[in-house]
Amino acid sequence: MALLHTLLLSFGFGLITASILAIAAVGLSLQFGITNYINFAYGDLLTFGIYTAFVVNQHLGLNIWIGLVIAVIATAILAWLINLFILRPFTDRGTSPIIMLVVTLGVSLILQNVILAIFSEQFQSYSINTGTPLTLGPFLFTPLQLGIIGLAIVTMLGIHALLHYTRLGKAMRAVSDSPELARISGINTRLVVNAAWLLAGGLAGLSGVVLAFNVASFTPTVGFGFLFVIFAAVILGGIGSPYGAIVGALVVGLATEMSAAFISSEYKDAIALVILIIALLIRPQGIFASRGRA
Amino acid sequence: MPTWIFYLLTLAVFGAIYGTLALGLNIQWGYTGILDFMYIAFVAVGGYVTSLLMLPPTQAAFGETYVLGLNWPFIPALVVGGLASALLAFIVGLLSLNRLRSDYFAIVTVAVGLVLYTIAGNDTPLVNGWDGISGIPQPFQSTLNLDANSYGFFFLGLCLVILIIVYIFSERLYRSPFGRALRSVREDEMVAEGLGKNVFALRLKAFVIGAFIAGIGGSMLVIYVDAFNPSAWTTGETFFLWAALLLGGSANNRGAMLGALIVPVLFAEITRFLPTFGSPQVVDAFRYIAIGILLILTVRFRPQGIIAEKRFRVRKSKLQRLESALASASTGVQITDTDLADNAGILPDGNAPLQSEEGKTL
Repeated sequence: MALLHTLLLSFGFGLITASILAIAAVGLSLQFGITNYINFAYGDLLTFGIYTAFVVNQHLGLNIWIGLVIAVIATAILAWLINLFILRPFTDRGTSPIIMLVVTLGVSLILQNVILAIFSEQFQSYSINTGTPLTLGPFLFTPLQLGIIGLAIVTMLGIHALLHYTRLGKAMRAVSDSPELARISGINTRLVVNAAWLLAGGLAGLSGVVLAFNVASFTPTVGFGFLFVIFAAVILGGIGSPYGAIVGALVVGLATEMSAAFISSEYKDAIALVILIIALLIRPQGIFASRGRA
Repeated sequence: MPTWIFYLLTLAVFGAIYGTLALGLNIQWGYTGILDFMYIAFVAVGGYVTSLLMLPPTQAAFGETYVLGLNWPFIPALVVGGLASALLAFIVGLLSLNRLRSDYFAIVTVAVGLVLYTIAGNDTPLVNGWDGISGIPQPFQSTLNLDANSYGFFFLGLCLVILIIVYIFSERLYRSPFGRALRSVREDEMVAEGLGKNVFALRLKAFVIGAFIAGIGGSMLVIYVDAFNPSAWTTGETFFLWAALLLGGSANNRGAMLGALIVPVLFAEITRFLPTFGSPQVVDAFRYIAIGILLILTVRFRPQGIIAEKRFRVRKSKLQRLESALASASTGVQITDTDLADNAGILPDGNAPLQSEEGKTL
């Protein structure tokens, strides 16, 4: 019974991790689908969001939820600027995806270490009220954690609505399928790429801040560490497929948290990495994808 | 010995070791185009295995725990250390090199590196966890009995011998038919495959050879610094070596060694002479920022690196022979298999380019 209880509790934690992961994974997946290269700087966009909210919350003394909104906007703009000034000069010259990966690696090093130079390596946290834990059946959630799950659900519904019921969302799906066909059909691909970066950045900022809610204290390397857990979810779900990413996030989130019931929690991230490796080796096109790109 | 000589000696040893490491990465990326982001893990595995073989058995009194501890002499320990890295590369490559596009392969390598890092740090009985290992016996010192200063020069000599051997090997490899085949895989695997090359086997071999060199260089590094724990081989260290290779010149061995002198050695040292403007962490952060900027600027404005890859001129006689071979092939005259094998690798070189329109060797 004790094990069952632990498992149910960690299932609850898994749902929260999955919610955070889903927001991040959808953003990365959307960006990858449109630009078709892997972005190593995505994790550091999360970190940027986390520290933006930190400044608003701790230095300006405003409510953390205002910090969250500002972090989302600021990270969206940063992602757009990074594409505009650093990445687009390369993609305009037709640089290969492999070299784009190296470029994003450079961006990641710069972003992460600028944040480190400003805020130092010490652990920081928000001043936030988590509320008294509520017992929901076998689970135990704080209102804040329920808020994270709610935010993730709203975001997923919003993304679904965007992709299916707006011109922009349809254009995004078209570009993701085939940039050439989209262009000759009269879609302004440059606009779509810009929108994708804004959206991916916003989602990165959002997931960063809720990640910081969940881990309580953070350092400037938190985003880069989480990047490979995000990759695991994205790859499991099929790269470039936002819906797959949601399922991938659920699997990876639950697996990492529930593994803590059996082995040391130090190995939590390693579990995600092992899932990532196995997923890539067995079904590189993604477990839940019908057709692949890998 | 004056301090500055000792200081230069240290720089020279690091230069020789990082030069060796850059040459190994060059075979993987520069020659073959393999995106290996776990290179530092090969360095670490070689370093750990060699050290653990040379160390005496664990003594509970010192509070260190590690496996092996066999008191082996230096040479066999070094070779086995290199082989251990090569074995790891063989396993990783066998499982993933033929299945994945190179950018996904890169993700797998980062993931494997991070998993190994987590295990090395948390599984204390294996390699003494986050505290790391230390007190590794100095090679040949028990027979030589040199004083500390002379031994420093002896060790530099040892590192240089290894660097030169690896350099000569890499140069010969580059010029060999095998080296040409590797470059054909890098340029266009479809073409290589069409010419009857086993792309997977070629990639796997290059990956394993590079990892072996990483293991050898890693062994020297760990023995020299004499204290090694997981924080010394984070993924960031791999990016240092990548920056070195890309800046120096991919696929050019002298470029790789020059890059190793500039990035890990000079870069790490120059920041020492800057006025102190913050904690060591902040100085470290600026170093990484500089590496990031350097990486982007290099790829943008000088993608071939400081010393570009040598372009091969195909001798006229050889070109004519090749043309006549192709002509006779098209007229149905049989040509020998060796002709094809010999020329297969040349084709991309023969057209001189290895480079796209804008001169990217990428």
